[in-house]
Amino acid sequence: MKKINILLAAICVVLTMSCEGFLDVKPSNSAAAETSITTAADAKVIMNGIMSKMTSSSYYGRNFIMYGDAKGGDFAIRSQGRGLDALYTFNHSPSSNSYSGYWSQIYHCLAQVNNLLINIQKIEEAGNSTSALLVYKGQALTLRALMYFDLVRLYGKPYNMDKTALGVPLVLEPLDASSQPSRATVEQVYTQIVKDLTDGAPLLNKTKTNGYINYYANKAILARVYLYMENWGGALAAAEEIINSKVYTLYTNNNWVSSWTAQYNTESIFELAILQGEADLGSGSLSFYLRRHGHGSTSAMGWFMASDYWLERMNQDPDDVRWGVMDYDESYKDTDVYRYGSCYKYSGSTTLAGDGKGSSTAVNIKVIRLSEVYLIAAEAALASNSKDKAVTYLNAIRKRSPNLAPATVSNITSDMILDERSKELFAEGHRFFDMMRLNKTITFNDDFIFPMVVITHREKTINRTFHKTILPISIDEMNANEGVRSQQNPGY
Amino acid sequence: MKKSLFFVLAVLITTAAFAQSRVTGKVTSSEDGSPLPFVTILIQGERGLGANSDIDGNFVIERCPSDAILVLSYVGFTTIQVPVEGRSVLNITMSPDALALEEVMVVAYGTARKGTYTGAASVVKSDAIKDVSTLSFENALSGKVAGMQISTNSGQAGAVSSIRVRGIGSMNASNEPLYVIDGVPVTSGNTGQMSGYIYSTNNVMSTLNPQDIESITVLKDAAASALYGSRAANGVILVTTKTGRLGRPVVNFKASVGLTPSFATVNFDIASPEQQVELYYENFWNAGKYDGKTDQASSASALSQLNKRFNKHGYYFTADDHTVNSLKILGMTDGQENREGKYYNWDDVLFRTAIYQTYDLSVSGASDRTSYYSSLSYTKEQGRSTVNDFSRIAGRVNVNQKVGKLIEFNTNVNIARNVQHGFNDTRSTGSNYFMQSRNLLWPLYWPTDYKTGAPWTARYGSYAYNQVYYNNEWENESNVLRLSANETLTVKFMPELVLKSVLSFDNTQTRDHIYYSANHFNASSVKGQVHEMSTNFQKIVSSTTLNYDKDFADKHTVNFLVGWEAEDNRTDFQRSSGTNLPTSALHTVATAGVLDANAYYWGSTMLSLLSRAEYSYDGRYYLSGSFRRDGSSRLGSNTRWGNFWSVAGSWRINNEGFMKDITQISNLRLRGSYGVNGTLPSSNYGWRALTSYGNKYMEDPGGGVANIADANLSWETSYTYNVALEFGLFNNRLNGTIEYFNRDSKDLLQSVPISTVTGFSSTLKNIGEINNHGLEIELSGDIIRTADLRWSAGLTGSWIRSTVTKLYDGKDIVWYDPTGDDARAKFIYREGESTLALYGLEWAGVEDETGRNVWFLNNDSQADVTVDGRPATYNYSKADEVILGDAHPDFFGGFATDLSWKGLSIALNFVYKIGGYTYNAVGRDVNDDGYYWERIMSQYCYDNRWTPDNKTAKYPQRIAIDMEDVNQKSSRHMNPADYLRLKNVTVSYTLPRAWTNKISIQNARIFFNGTNLWTLAAHKEYDPEVNEYGSRGWEIPLGKTFTFGLEFSF
Repeated sequence: MKKINILLAAICVVLTMSCEGFLDVKPSNSAAAETSITTAADAKVIMNGIMSKMTSSSYYGRNFIMYGDAKGGDFAIRSQGRGLDALYTFNHSPSSNSYSGYWSQIYHCLAQVNNLLINIQKIEEAGNSTSALLVYKGQALTLRALMYFDLVRLYGKPYNMDKTALGVPLVLEPLDASSQPSRATVEQVYTQIVKDLTDGAPLLNKTKTNGYINYYANKAILARVYLYMENWGGALAAAEEIINSKVYTLYTNNNWVSSWTAQYNTESIFELAILQGEADLGSGSLSFYLRRHGHGSTSAMGWFMASDYWLERMNQDPDDVRWGVMDYDESYKDTDVYRYGSCYKYSGSTTLAGDGKGSSTAVNIKVIRLSEVYLIAAEAALASNSKDKAVTYLNAIRKRSPNLAPATVSNITSDMILDERSKELFAEGHRFFDMMRLNKTITFNDDFIFPMVVITHREKTINRTFHKTILPISIDEMNANEGVRSQQNPGY
Repeated sequence: MKKSLFFVLAVLITTAAFAQSRVTGKVTSSEDGSPLPFVTILIQGERGLGANSDIDGNFVIERCPSDAILVLSYVGFTTIQVPVEGRSVLNITMSPDALALEEVMVVAYGTARKGTYTGAASVVKSDAIKDVSTLSFENALSGKVAGMQISTNSGQAGAVSSIRVRGIGSMNASNEPLYVIDGVPVTSGNTGQMSGYIYSTNNVMSTLNPQDIESITVLKDAAASALYGSRAANGVILVTTKTGRLGRPVVNFKASVGLTPSFATVNFDIASPEQQVELYYENFWNAGKYDGKTDQASSASALSQLNKRFNKHGYYFTADDHTVNSLKILGMTDGQENREGKYYNWDDVLFRTAIYQTYDLSVSGASDRTSYYSSLSYTKEQGRSTVNDFSRIAGRVNVNQKVGKLIEFNTNVNIARNVQHGFNDTRSTGSNYFMQSRNLLWPLYWPTDYKTGAPWTARYGSYAYNQVYYNNEWENESNVLRLSANETLTVKFMPELVLKSVLSFDNTQTRDHIYYSANHFNASSVKGQVHEMSTNFQKIVSSTTLNYDKDFADKHTVNFLVGWEAEDNRTDFQRSSGTNLPTSALHTVATAGVLDANAYYWGSTMLSLLSRAEYSYDGRYYLSGSFRRDGSSRLGSNTRWGNFWSVAGSWRINNEGFMKDITQISNLRLRGSYGVNGTLPSSNYGWRALTSYGNKYMEDPGGGVANIADANLSWETSYTYNVALEFGLFNNRLNGTIEYFNRDSKDLLQSVPISTVTGFSSTLKNIGEINNHGLEIELSGDIIRTADLRWSAGLTGSWIRSTVTKLYDGKDIVWYDPTGDDARAKFIYREGESTLALYGLEWAGVEDETGRNVWFLNNDSQADVTVDGRPATYNYSKADEVILGDAHPDFFGGFATDLSWKGLSIALNFVYKIGGYTYNAVGRDVNDDGYYWERIMSQYCYDNRWTPDNKTAKYPQRIAIDMEDVNQKSSRHMNPADYLRLKNVTVSYTLPRAWTNKISIQNARIFFNGTNLWTLAAHKEYDPEVNEYGSRGWEIPLGKTFTFGLEFSF
């Protein structure tokens, strides 16, 4: 008995000594959050993570791009039930089709940005800052501005409509689980956007930086933001700084079509990389959403195609080089008439060449490119009465329709610039937001749906007084966040 | 052989030489006359004299005093005294001990007698499950244990089933019980990664051959299970495998073959081809009329739709009078084949008569120092789906060896290899064969092109694919190799003091292979794809217990147990994938042009101290208590350790003096317990704030904050009390237990929704509370008990209320049935409501005049119409969601009856469920109002839709005018769950021994088993035996199985 007692005692001692070690089991594919950012190399890893999360299907990977075109009247659908219909039909409510993925994914990206920024700040405070590290700070600030700009356009009224209206909660540092922040006004959000862009710009490199934010990407976003704010001088200055730097050059008429088959082309100021095995959405990609039904794969459902109105605009010039990324859509099966409504910008080419990665769906997302900067410059110049400049910048793009007469100081209008934006930036996520900020009426090509169905959630034409032109806050967010509970967008 | 056996016999010889003679004889059992080996035979009053019977029951005592009294003792039999009275040949019969017959059952860290055990436990013996054709033993337990619900998630061969013991005690952590095999906790559930690709599960429990099982004990209350501490709140299932019995080696061979020609019930059986076409036409004709068109225009539009859809499949359509009455289906004549009047039967190619076969060979035996059981079995089960099958080879060796007087070694080794070919079992239009056969594949679709005869490779209009072609363009295989070895050392220091040390190693290696050719729609864009995955679960458990058991002064019995246990779980995962394959002949990663890989590991550890004390007085009063302290790596250092304990007592009333005269009551016992046990979080690292690195960008690593963690995450704790009355009447011919339990589960982990402005949508917190309470009844009785004829019957029944009692901030949580990742049924956790409260819109039925859907508003909006005096609307989006019903049954269980006459026996086994609802998640597909116009409909939908001739229909008019699917989650798809099913029927015949002995066969038996042969259901559209969430989705239903088998032992 005695021996056993000694044995048991020994077991107990050994047990208590080794317990905590034995019970400390760490994961093999994750690291402790508190200590994972201490150097510039760590910051780069986190920045990669942010870029990757921005390519999610809920954000730039698909749905955010689709939002701008599906709601803007440049897209139409042929059949119901294929996916993202509710964007087109404006079938939104807080509890169904709230598209809360935009909100949650962008705030998830913002949480990463804020986490990176606070860790960089800690390193700076500890006196270990390096210029390499500060580049990531500049990138993070610029991305934070871009994300808030996207959020406020989805959930807030246009800046020039009512800037005292509610925007989105403005969060600049990591939050704990119990935080329930309220919405800031549209103006407060825009103020922060401009501040972040201004703070970030001096930290950034001026060389071309494929796949990441550089100085000019910051300026391009600033130009875009100023355009929405109708700060014409600011927009023009930012745009001209990029144009005059000559770091980027416009595609010629000869290489415009082929530009889509390559990554990081000469116009590309900020381009998100989509690689196979990374963010490639395969049969859920933009490539599949826009190509013709059944083209290249039985899984291609032919979700969206160009509307009659956009085709009419393009038909002003049958030789417009931009026809080169369009191919016929499925409607010929019912009508026997070829209609070139399928867009192949995200497939590389109409032959599904991709952009050089061996896959027709792993195609980079061009978030901002030089043509847009020219059109921003044109619009800002026109608004600030520099018609010469406006004509120059517009014609640099308009010449892609060789049969159309160039704009002149006497005939240039803001609608010409808007039409040019529609043609040039088709399927790049701009049309709806342009129509909203310019207070235009959108007409939908509902009669293209075959067989005819009844659309009950909106009229055939809408303008920005229609409450569903901004998204509802989802019921889940309202339930979890007391701060926004009384701040639902009007009409929902 | 014979000689050596004689050596083994310990024949002791006395030197006393008074009137001695040689006595020989044979010991047999009074039950069946079989010889009793190794019976201890002593001569009363003579130390060291005596003998043991040999393996055939024979004994020899040299020099036995002629007036000696022999004392014979044998485990399980009444010790008897036989005076020699000068005889030289003695044939002695021994009778089973009535008390010893009282069931010995395996319980936590030991055994107990049923009549003295203070906890709530039910035992199922091997006899009850041995003839059921099942891959895994759980499926044979249905209806056999009160308070336990077994649900089969799918009729797919090899699928995981789910067990709920006494309701639902957790929202976020597991609700599955702990499985303990031969005293050691084991890996359970789904292993492998295939579910991430094709939604087929892989039940690791099927690595255990059901024929190797001796008994199963289900521990239900805290007194029974608290010794398993933090893993025991959902109950514990203890499985004990067979051991050798004293006597000659027994070779047992069993073979059976089963056939599953059909499903057990109707399952959304489709309308005829003509009716499908009629529905399609009607859908568009109605839409045309709605739009104000003429009959002619409406008909033209409907016909153009039909022609557009089916011309390419060889059909065209006419309707001369522009209504459905003249609708004709005609064949196109411009191809190789005219299909007029012919339709394709997809069921014939997607399903088959499935064959089940199993062969078992076992050898067992024992001497007084060694016992062994070894078995080898092979089982192959086909699923009804032509691509689904499962096979197993399993071998087991259980050896027990005594070494010296004190030490005993016990080794259990099980090796099994399973190979499973599965298929997609969730709502996937492209690949779920069951959904395709019932909802997508028109009989007007053919696997070939009518024009050319070439295989049809394009996607059909309904999004289905031609499986006849694509079946050959992909493959999958899950290969499980499980090796488990337990080594137990028992040291009997004294008869009262026993040390037991167990070391167990359980290794499950699952290899998954999935391949798509470049022709397959899943991999055409990447030119072929192959994944090879390996998941290795390794579990090492070491436990040592010291048990002291002593009787004092006849009346007092004490038992103490102390011990410790350590457990280490580690899972290693590796995946290598390749795309861009050079040839469809080679299905390996080695040949691929593009490679991708992943590998990492995860795991958890646990340390425990455990103890138990038991005291009983005079066979009347029993008291017990247990205490366990667990430390787990799944919790942070502040909360890592938890204490779990129980107290229990019982009073054996029939042993009291005042009961002596009531002879009708042979057993009466009251017992009660209270205790605390727990559940761990499912996540290994849930308490840690982590940066994860799953976000590569431009071939560079990318990472980010992965969660907002609560470092103080803790155990879920259950507080359970249990009261039971056990009785045996008329010499135990009628036995029963009535049991009441109440389980309050607190600090439940809740995935608390947080503002997504934080970047995350939820965080884990210990917040919620659930109460489960209920009443369980188990009854069994022998109605007729004669030598030749026996008729017995048993019944189990459970009434359980499972209620959410506390939620974070009192806020409701809406959640969805997680099976198949399909969000198929919607539930709400709301304080005071059921844990399976179905949630959705309240459907008010169909308006008789118009055939339109009507919904109860359940809010203050302006009503369009009133139904039954309540405000209702035509527009579902105006209505509010409410709790619709409870998916828990009111009452469930089973009953069985066993009739045997001589060698013939018939056993029937029923299961039933009364009350509650099932949710028909498939309703949105097959009971559709015109939104899914490209799909086929069930006969039930066809028969019950609104038409001008059928204005009191259950379902609305079919009309294709809406962009939206009005088939929201609603009471329209909720149906009564009641059913009664003949789960198993077994007929067996044991050939008379007189015949079989002639050919040296000890025992020969033939049997038939039928599974799911008869079902009575309140709602007849689909199989009422649904998953644990009460929902019916597109998983393949259960089949009717007819099994024939034979068994020999030598």
